[in-house]
Amino acid sequence: MMTALLVEALQALLTLALAPGLIGLVRFLKARLQGRRGAPLWQPYRDLRRMLRQEVVLSTDASWLFRAAPFVVFGSVLVVSLLVPLIAAPLPFDEVGDLVVVVYLLLLGTFVLSLAGLDPGSAFGGMGSSREMTIAALAEPTIALAIFGLGVRAGSTNLGRIVARTLASPAETLGPGHLLAFAALFIVMLAETGRLPVDNPATHLELTMIHEAMLLEYSGRYLALLEWASAMKFLIFQALLANLFVPWGVAVSLSPRALLVALGALVLKLAALGAGVALLETRLAKLRLFRVPELLSVSFLLALLAITASFVMR
Amino acid sequence: MSPALFSQLCALGSSLVLITGIAILWRHSLAVYIDYFARQSFVFVLVILGVAAYAGEAELYLVAAMVFLFKVMLIPRILRRVRRHVGVDLEVRPYVNVPASVALAGLLTLIAYAVTRPVVEISGLPTRAGIPLALAVVFVGLLIVVSRRSALAQIVGFLVLENGIALLAILATYGVPLIVELGAFLDVLLGFLVMQVFVYRIRETFDTIDVDRLSGLRH
Repeated sequence: MMTALLVEALQALLTLALAPGLIGLVRFLKARLQGRRGAPLWQPYRDLRRMLRQEVVLSTDASWLFRAAPFVVFGSVLVVSLLVPLIAAPLPFDEVGDLVVVVYLLLLGTFVLSLAGLDPGSAFGGMGSSREMTIAALAEPTIALAIFGLGVRAGSTNLGRIVARTLASPAETLGPGHLLAFAALFIVMLAETGRLPVDNPATHLELTMIHEAMLLEYSGRYLALLEWASAMKFLIFQALLANLFVPWGVAVSLSPRALLVALGALVLKLAALGAGVALLETRLAKLRLFRVPELLSVSFLLALLAITASFVMR
Repeated sequence: MSPALFSQLCALGSSLVLITGIAILWRHSLAVYIDYFARQSFVFVLVILGVAAYAGEAELYLVAAMVFLFKVMLIPRILRRVRRHVGVDLEVRPYVNVPASVALAGLLTLIAYAVTRPVVEISGLPTRAGIPLALAVVFVGLLIVVSRRSALAQIVGFLVLENGIALLAILATYGVPLIVELGAFLDVLLGFLVMQVFVYRIRETFDTIDVDRLSGLRH
C-alpha cells in the first residue's frame, strides 16, 4: 500500500517535471521541420523560472476570481495526474475517480479559466472565453465517448482496469473500436490542448487565438502556473493516448524494475506522440473558426462508430 | 491466421471503407471527393484480398484485380479529367451542411447496425462484423447523392454506393459468382460512362453542373 502511494506521488512529480520538456520537444521538432534552429528542449523550464520570479501586474478591474483561477486550474490538472495511469496500471487512486471524474476535472479547469478570461473585462479575454466554451462544449462529449468505447469492452470506466484489460487481450487492439477511438481522441486532444488545426500555440497576437487570448491579462507567477498547467494537460492527454491505446510497458506490478521499464516506455511513447504532433502541425494550416465544429463533429462521429463497434463485437 | 484476428481485421477494413466514404461528406472540394473515392476503392481491394487469402477463393483475386484496375485507376482518372474540363472545384452550398451530414452519417450507421442485426446473428462467417458497416457505406453513398448539388459529387456518391453493395456481397457470402460480378461491373462502368457524358452535356447547356439549376428554365 505504501509503495503504491509512493508511485502515485511519483506520477504527479513526473507530470510536473516532464510537461515543460514535452512542450519544448514539440517546439524544437517543429522548428527543425520548418528549417529553423529552434530553442533548446529546456527553454520552457527557463521560461517558467523567469516568470515565477517576475512581478505580478493585476488589472484594477480584476476580482478574487482572477487571482484564484490559476490555482484552481493548476490544482485540477495535478489531481488528474494522480488518476491517470502514467507508469503503473491499477493504483489505489483508481478507486477515487474514474474516467468521468478525469474528464470533468479537466473541464473544471477550462471553465474557471474562461471565467477568468471574462473577469478583467478586456475584449480579447472575452472573445477567447467564448471561443473556448464553443470548442469545449463540442469536444467534451467526444472525449467521454471515445474512452467509453474502450470501457465497454473492459466492462468498467476505471482507467486502470481498461489498461489491464487491453494488456490481457492484445488482438482487440487491431479492431475498429480501438483504432477509431484513438483517432477520435487524438482530434479532440488537438482541440482541447489548443494545438494547430484548432488554435495556434505559437502566437500571442492574432485575432484568431483562443487559449492565449484568455491568458493575455496574466503575468508573473500566475502566468507561470497557467502555462505549466496547460503543458501538464497536454502531457496528460498524450499519456492517455499512449497508455490506453498502446498500453505495453505500463507496470502491472510495483517492482522497481517494472517501474523503470514503464518510465522508459512512457518517455519513448510521449516523444513519439510529440513528434507526431510536431509533424502534423508543420503540415496543417489553421482551420477557419467556423470550420472547427465540422472537425469536431467528425471526431464525434468516429467516437460514436468506435463505441458501436465495441458494443456489437463484445 | 486465427479467425478472431481475421474477424478484427475485416471489421477494421470495412470501417476504413466507411470512413473514407464519410470523409467525402466532410470535405468541400470535388478533387478531394475523387481522391477519397480512389482511396476507398483501394481499401476495398485490400479487404477483398484479405477475404480471398483467408477463404482460399481464387475467383476473388480476379475480382480484386478488376476493382483495382477500374475503381482505383481508371474511373478516378476519368473523373479527374471531367473535373478539369468542367473547371469547377468547390461544392459550395450542399443541401445539407457539413456537421448535419456527418451527424446523419452517424445516425445511418446506427440504423445499419439495427437492421442488419438478424443477418449478423445467423451468419457464421468471421466476416460478419463488417456487414453492418458495408450497409452503412451504401447509406452514406445515397446520402452523398441526395445532399450534394454538383452532378460530379453525385456521381462519386453513386460509385461509393456501388462500393458498399460490392463490399456487402464479399462480406456476407465471400463474393457472388464471378459471372454476376462481371455483369455488375459492366453495369457500373456503363452507367458511369453515360453519367460522365451527361455531365459534359449539362455543363454545355447550362454553364454549370449544379443540378439545382436544372429545374428552372434557362434565363
